[in-house]
Amino acid sequence: MGIYDELCGGIARRTMVLFFLVDTSGSMAGSKIGAVNEAINDIVPELRDISDNNADAQIKIAVLEFNSGAEWLYPNPIEAENFEWDYLDVGGVTDLGTAFTMLDEKLSRNEFMSDVAGSFAPAIFLMSDGQPTDHYEKGLAKLKENNWYKNAIKVAVAIGDDADQDVLKDFTGNSESVLTARNPEALKKMITFVSVTASKIGSQSSSVEFSGKSSAPSKQDDFVEQIQDFNADIFDDDAEIEW
Amino acid sequence: MNTFEKGTKIKLESGDSVEVVKKLGDGGQGIVYFVNYKKKPYALKWYYPNKLKNAQQFKENIVNNIKQGPPTEAFIWPQMITKNQDDSFGYLMDLRPVEYEDFSRFLTAKVKFSSVSAVVNAALNIVNGFRELHRCGYSYQDINDGNFFINSESGEVLICDNDNVAQYGDNLGIAGKCRYMAPEVVLGEKHPSVHTDRYSLAVTLFLLLFVSHPLEGSRTTCPCMTESLEKKFYGSEPVFIFDPENDTNRPVRGIHNNAIKLWPIYPRYIQEAFEKSFGEGLKKENARLTETQWQKLFLRLRDETITCGCGSEVFVDSEADAIQCMGCGKTIQTPLFLKVKNNQVALYPKSKLYKCHTNIDSDDFKEEMGEVIQSKSNPGLWGLRNSSNTTWYMTTPDGKQKDVRPGGVVQILRGIMIDFGKNRGEII
Repeated sequence: MGIYDELCGGIARRTMVLFFLVDTSGSMAGSKIGAVNEAINDIVPELRDISDNNADAQIKIAVLEFNSGAEWLYPNPIEAENFEWDYLDVGGVTDLGTAFTMLDEKLSRNEFMSDVAGSFAPAIFLMSDGQPTDHYEKGLAKLKENNWYKNAIKVAVAIGDDADQDVLKDFTGNSESVLTARNPEALKKMITFVSVTASKIGSQSSSVEFSGKSSAPSKQDDFVEQIQDFNADIFDDDAEIEW
Repeated sequence: MNTFEKGTKIKLESGDSVEVVKKLGDGGQGIVYFVNYKKKPYALKWYYPNKLKNAQQFKENIVNNIKQGPPTEAFIWPQMITKNQDDSFGYLMDLRPVEYEDFSRFLTAKVKFSSVSAVVNAALNIVNGFRELHRCGYSYQDINDGNFFINSESGEVLICDNDNVAQYGDNLGIAGKCRYMAPEVVLGEKHPSVHTDRYSLAVTLFLLLFVSHPLEGSRTTCPCMTESLEKKFYGSEPVFIFDPENDTNRPVRGIHNNAIKLWPIYPRYIQEAFEKSFGEGLKKENARLTETQWQKLFLRLRDETITCGCGSEVFVDSEADAIQCMGCGKTIQTPLFLKVKNNQVALYPKSKLYKCHTNIDSDDFKEEMGEVIQSKSNPGLWGLRNSSNTTWYMTTPDGKQKDVRPGGVVQILRGIMIDFGKNRGEII
């Protein structure tokens, strides 16, 4: 019995929101959405552990699906501890512009980024298999002015070769942060790797490393470096089967 | 990098090999596996290929540290190194015993200390570990919450991730997380060293005692903590949340509740040590407390901690007549003290004497030498039991002398002198 027993909570932790932006247009039917559902469902316990044992930040998860229009799956980001993945169904077209606009609205301290203890910049993970069917440019231009977006770790997975790589690159800001999944196995591995790595890097106090000259660390750079190592590994595993 | 499958054999430089059983976890530099070596379980840390800036130098440093051996048993030290395989290598160390928990789990309140004494013991153990490490000529370089495993009951500490430990003056290119690093390291002005270790040690001790960060208050509760803001708050413009002269970064109720609740409980000399560490010590290396200074402070704190009949622990003040229990609110008369050279121990049931009290040449704060007990028939009667294996000699105020054999008891009365053999004490 003592004062430490009676503490109601731990150290003040910031929040790091992991955003999943998932294309649920009709073309995602079958093994594509199947792999997405399985992979995210499988990774939730690991995200929970990362959040649980992390004194720097807790992880919350937000999910936006887009097809003919877009919809937030939960009204607020949910703590990884309490998050359960609702399997997504598909149908409709690819209104990516609408998704960008809705993301921009929620990346605000009056909306999803309202935690009183403050937040780290979010990690935003976009998955799509096709061409945008709306005028995405306007939504993306607006998003690019959002400071949360500017500081975020951004990553995209192109599902199959029909995905519009240029749009995804435009979204992430560089080609290294766009991965291409050519089969369900690769897609699952990518979702696992990206979710875990982005969560770990995003939810930690930033690191300082000496490169010999001046130190200029960046979470996005660190992330890109890890993605490149991962991509080099997974490339060999890429089987012939394509979507 | 793909993880090793169960049954994978990995060759050690010695020629023997270990067998992978399962993955235990991963971090920024690599993966830790449960392995078997000569039928005994060990942990293997395996680095990600191409992740280390200068892998050869890094490996040589570990080999050298293995040769030198650990500073104390509190270090989960590298024991054997592997041959290079799949573009990388690893080292073998002991597994963490199950009764030890990650420090981060104490910080997130998933695990709680059983008592204030356990917290103070943990502080003593951490400080002592770094004192011995620095005395061996090493610096740790990357102190953070991932480096400590703590026993919540006893406050025993194990220090892990000793692969970054380097000889004085060396640096392996590792600097660590902003939240734990000295401002000059955050700003890239200096490399980690013994001096920056001392800053990170103060952060760790503050986190341990107050379950809050010393630089995180009203100023730092900005909506988005970007990397440039981290540099500002931990590097260029740090402000201590309890800075006596600068109130711009005070803890905020509802967010920094632990700091608000725990800070006033601790005696002034502990508060002053942190005020110095995060005042002058932010900029001036030499203003940072040494491990020996911290050790003295925490020994004093332990000597002045008593347990109220309700079970709550209270810090006593020898100057005050009475104190109020934080648990039950009862007024407790200030007890008598045993004054030995360098220390003064409050004599209250369950208080303990350690070797550092009974032997003037010792700074052993773990080996118990005596304990205050209460008479079963007359609870108002207290005595100091000799738990050592040597005889003490007591002298009463009227000059009578008596032997106190191992297991024997000295009644606690003002004016009694005790000769412990290697130190003398007086009950005051």
